[in-house]
Amino acid sequence: MITLYGKAASRTSRNLWALEELGIAYKHVPFDYLKGDTKMAEYLTINPAGKVPALVDDDVVMTESLGMNLYIAHNYGIGTLWPEGKAARAKCIQWTLWAATELEPPAVGRLIEFNFKKEHERDQKNIDELAEHTKWPLNTLDAALQRSTYLAGAMFTIADLNVAAVCEYLTRTKFDLTPWPAANRWVSECLARPANQKVNAMKMAA
Amino acid sequence: MLKIYGSVMSRASRNIWAAEECAAPYELVSLDFRKGEHKQPAYLAINPAGKMPSIVDGDVVMAESLAINAFIAQKYGKGKLWPADEKGQAKCLQWTLWAAAELEPVAYGRLREVLFKKEDERDHKLLAELAERGKPIVGVLDAVLQDTPFICGSQFTLADLNVACVMEYMVRSNFDISPWPKTAAWYKACAGRLGNMKVQEMRAQAMKVAA
Repeated sequence: MITLYGKAASRTSRNLWALEELGIAYKHVPFDYLKGDTKMAEYLTINPAGKVPALVDDDVVMTESLGMNLYIAHNYGIGTLWPEGKAARAKCIQWTLWAATELEPPAVGRLIEFNFKKEHERDQKNIDELAEHTKWPLNTLDAALQRSTYLAGAMFTIADLNVAAVCEYLTRTKFDLTPWPAANRWVSECLARPANQKVNAMKMAA
Repeated sequence: MLKIYGSVMSRASRNIWAAEECAAPYELVSLDFRKGEHKQPAYLAINPAGKMPSIVDGDVVMAESLAINAFIAQKYGKGKLWPADEKGQAKCLQWTLWAAAELEPVAYGRLREVLFKKEDERDHKLLAELAERGKPIVGVLDAVLQDTPFICGSQFTLADLNVACVMEYMVRSNFDISPWPKTAAWYKACAGRLGNMKVQEMRAQAMKVAA
């Protein structure tokens, strides 16, 4: 059984979402990096870098939230989060890396400005630059979603989950997605899925 | 057959390396970004964002260099670049994302300063900051390499290839990895592989043609 480490209000939420989508049994250890849980010896044997999330699944010990989601999908979600067919699987890997390299840097930059700083501490020049850097990836995403309902075809897969989980940083920081209607509709739909709603409730409860 | 679109001077080199490692038959469709070939309609049909590299392999059309390598390893490198066991496969996915999320922002930031700017135009404060940020990141890799020559164990896999081709930016931008002897030895072993030697040869050839 998978044991997932990290509190819901962290990148761990991405993995909680994937596990909830699949409806498989898992154990959640909500270590809180703000309380120093992740720097305890117990956790450092799992992830020497002291970051969350991490997962343990028998002899598999793994970090990197988006990589973990590929693992979860690949091993527990064949035919659902991990689609049948080479072309769709290739898209899952592609969009996962795209989320990490193209979208996450500006999205997490916004999150830092809006959620980790007080209003008077915010760097408006940085916020404006980040908004510019967000437009290009959104153009790419919107174009893809004009061609198909979901990123790897007609079905919701790990590609959608991994990209939507990063898009959530944009919606949470009130980034206006309306100029990208296909992406906007898709983000709303993905984030409204019951599995993600459950994760949101876990975030609030913690 | 696997078609790789891009220039050997670009991130496509990572995919050429992977294809060479797997001895997968492939065709390199060279696109010269200085001539704007990646913004032509023929290429935009493959990659609407106009970025390099992309691949086409049967009905598979995909972008993102490190993801492409995961595809190449799974299709052409089973038991080699793509380990046979679940544990090794998990590590390959983890380190591929780690290369993209942790190492590449620092490494590419440094490369951009060094490669695209003349010495007197470089932002040395930025280079020093990126070097500082790079140290704990290299430390994470070094910790893993204390006990085994390669990331997943005794065998060179996709995890090593994807991390090494990003580490190359650190080395090329004169970041000294010698304080991490295990990492330095690992990098030498990776860079010295025939697959990468072939890439370096192709680069040297491309530079000769350009000059």
